[in-house]
Amino acid sequence: MRREVEIEYSMNVAFAALTLLSLVMMTFAAPADMLPSMISGVSGAIVLILKLTAVYAVWLSVLKMAEATGLDRKLSRALRPVIRRLFKGESEKSYDYISVNLASNMLGMGGATTPAAINAMASMCREEGKATDNMLMLLVINATSIQIVPATVIALRAAAGSANAASVFLPTLIATSCATAAGMILARLCAAARSAAEKRKKG
Amino acid sequence: MSVYLLPVILVGTVIYSLAKRVSVYDCFLDGARESLSLVKSIFPYIAVIFICIELFRASGLAYIVSGWLSHPLRFLGIPPEIAELVLLVPLSGNGAIALLEDIISTYGVDSYIARCAATIAGASETVFYVSAVYFSKCKVKNLRYAIPVSLFSSFFGMVVACALCRVM
Repeated sequence: MRREVEIEYSMNVAFAALTLLSLVMMTFAAPADMLPSMISGVSGAIVLILKLTAVYAVWLSVLKMAEATGLDRKLSRALRPVIRRLFKGESEKSYDYISVNLASNMLGMGGATTPAAINAMASMCREEGKATDNMLMLLVINATSIQIVPATVIALRAAAGSANAASVFLPTLIATSCATAAGMILARLCAAARSAAEKRKKG
Repeated sequence: MSVYLLPVILVGTVIYSLAKRVSVYDCFLDGARESLSLVKSIFPYIAVIFICIELFRASGLAYIVSGWLSHPLRFLGIPPEIAELVLLVPLSGNGAIALLEDIISTYGVDSYIARCAATIAGASETVFYVSAVYFSKCKVKNLRYAIPVSLFSSFFGMVVACALCRVM
């Protein structure tokens, strides 16, 4: 949990710096607006939270059905051959975790994604503290988002009265596919460049 | 066509659940129940990011920063109005949703700007959070090329997203 602490620390620094800078600027520009704008911020948050409660209540129900019917397991079985080719030389256990991680990420099941990924990373780890190229590949695929249906975004658009809330579906799918493809190619190139450099060092 | 996307998904899942003899009623109860605990856990993050965004804007800092970024972003086809979203997306998923909602209510849900923002928020992931949490068990410190590659690819995805929103 060390890195999590580090990230929280950097978020802490970023948040404090940004808030302080804004507050100091406001002290000169508009001192009377300071407290009202902070409070109106939280009011906005409460409105959004109510909206999100409704969004999640509907979408989590759909995900529950997908889970109860075993749709996620089916998808992860279908992904298996692709995963085996993409992550060469890992154990069956790792393939299990990776396929659960990627399948639940594609379906947008946040709850199952993270534990599977943490276990996948731990099972692929050969040497403590050292990341293999396969581990970094899994990270890059997850970090460029592979969700098929951006449910929260579509639901927020629907709640705002969009004429066609799902119109962003196709652009989102194409954009995220481009990002993931670019990430995978770049990760491969970086891994290849590194191993070439290592060979040169040895030889 | 995309109007039928959600109806197809919803009707399909319900029929499939009935065929598999899964209790649809119980699934909806579970979903509604979990939604409450989920929003309870993300409320602090949303509230704090809203305070921060509100101050950032009211102080005029947002105006200055988006002024710096507007030229390079416009060059890449990203509307400068969503500069804050571009910066926030790799850091905080809840923050991105909060900003998206704000952009939707400011510019109108079906405007080009709001559609770009929606596509970017839907197509991206919190790079820093993911890399922190995924390696929490195996104590990896040096991520080598992973972060720059992920950030660059996500940004590439955003450029693609804005280009697509122009034509789709």
